[in-house]
Amino acid sequence: MPSPNAARFLNKVPEVTAVFWIIKIMSTTVGETGADYLAVHVGLGAATTGAIMVALLIAMLVVQLRARKYVPWKYWLTVVLVSIVGTQITDALTDGLDVSLYVSTAVFAVALAATFVIWYWSERTLSIHTIVTRPRELFYWAAILFTFALGTAAGDLATEALGLGFRVGVLVFGAAIAVIAAAFYGGADAVLTFWLAYLLTRPLGASLGDLLSQSRPNGGLGLGTIDTSVIFLAVIAALVAFLSVVPNRMGMQPKLTEEL
Amino acid sequence: MKTLDFAKIRSAKGRLRTFALSIAVLGAGTGTLLPSIRVVAAAEAAAPSKIGDLSSYRTIVVDTASMVNNGDLDGAKARIKDLEVSWDDAEPSLKPRSPAEWHAIDKAIDRALSDLRSGKPDATACKESLANLLKVMDGGGRS
Repeated sequence: MPSPNAARFLNKVPEVTAVFWIIKIMSTTVGETGADYLAVHVGLGAATTGAIMVALLIAMLVVQLRARKYVPWKYWLTVVLVSIVGTQITDALTDGLDVSLYVSTAVFAVALAATFVIWYWSERTLSIHTIVTRPRELFYWAAILFTFALGTAAGDLATEALGLGFRVGVLVFGAAIAVIAAAFYGGADAVLTFWLAYLLTRPLGASLGDLLSQSRPNGGLGLGTIDTSVIFLAVIAALVAFLSVVPNRMGMQPKLTEEL
Repeated sequence: MKTLDFAKIRSAKGRLRTFALSIAVLGAGTGTLLPSIRVVAAAEAAAPSKIGDLSSYRTIVVDTASMVNNGDLDGAKARIKDLEVSWDDAEPSLKPRSPAEWHAIDKAIDRALSDLRSGKPDATACKESLANLLKVMDGGGRS
C-alpha cells in the first residue's frame, strides 16, 4: 500500500453542480425501482438480485478506482450501483433479518459518523475537492454507501413512524434540502451541508419516483415503475453524455486546493 | 433598528414555542382519546381496512385458493405472482396508511408465496396459508 501522498491523481469525483444533484436524485430512484423490478417482476428474488448487484458494484468500483481521472459514466454508474446495494442492505436487514428500522437507522448513522472520523483522522481533511489518493477515494465511496443505507433506513422510518406518504414526503424532504441549501449559502460548513443534502436526496428521490410511478387513484401521476425508470434513465444518460462532451464548462477542472 | 429586530424575533420565537407546545398538548390529548374510539369502531364496523380497497388483491387470493382446491398447484403458483407484483407495486401508496396492517398482510403473502413455490408444494400447507392470508386481509391485519 503506497503512503497516502505517494500516488496522487487528479480529483476523481465531480464538482457539485445543479447537474450533479439532478443526476444524483434520479440515480436514487432508478436504483430502487431497477432492483425491485429484477427481484419481483423478473422473479429473481431478493437474494439473487442482491448477489448480482454486489458483484456488479465490486466490478464497477474496480473500474472507478483504476481510472486515472474523473470519467462521468464510470463515476455515475458506480453511484447507481452503490444506491442499489445501499438500499438492498437496509431491505435485507429489515425484511430478511427483522431488524427494527430504529436499530438500522442508528447503526448506519454510527457507521457514517465513524467513516468521517477515521477519514478526517487519517487525511486531516474531508474535502471532496481533493479526492486525489486511493485512501481518500475509498473513504469517499464508503461514506456514499452509508449515506444511501442510512437514507433508506431513515426514510422508511419516517414512512413507518409518521405515516408519511410520498406526496408529503416530496414536500418534507424537499423543504429540508432547501433549508440546508439556504444554510450553505448563508455560510454554514460546506462539508456538513454537502453530506446532509446527499443523505436527504435519498428519501427525496424515492418519494419523487413514487409520485411519478404510483397510480392516479393512489395520488400519483400513474406512469408506472417501468416508464418512470426508463424516463429517469434516459435523462441520466443524456446528462452524463453531456458532461462527457463538455467537461470544462461544467467546472470539472481538477482542483488541488485543500479548501472546501 | 437592530435591537428592534431582535425583539421581534424573540417574541416570534416565543409565540412559536407556545404554538408548538399547544400542538404537543393537543396531540397528547387526542393520542389518549383515539385508541378507545378506534377499538369501538373496529368492533362495530366489519373491520374496513385502513389501507383502503383490498378487493383486487383479495380476488387473486380467492382465485389461487380455488385452484389449490382443484389440485391445480401450478396454476395457483402462476396466479399468486399477480398478487406479488401488484402488491409490491402499490407498496409506496398502501404502506404509509397503516404500516402495521401492511406488514401483517405482507408477511402472510410471503408465507403463501413460499408455500406455493416450495420444491414440492404441500396442498394442505398452501390451503392453510391462503386461508390465513384471507383472514389477515379481512381482519384489518389481525389473523
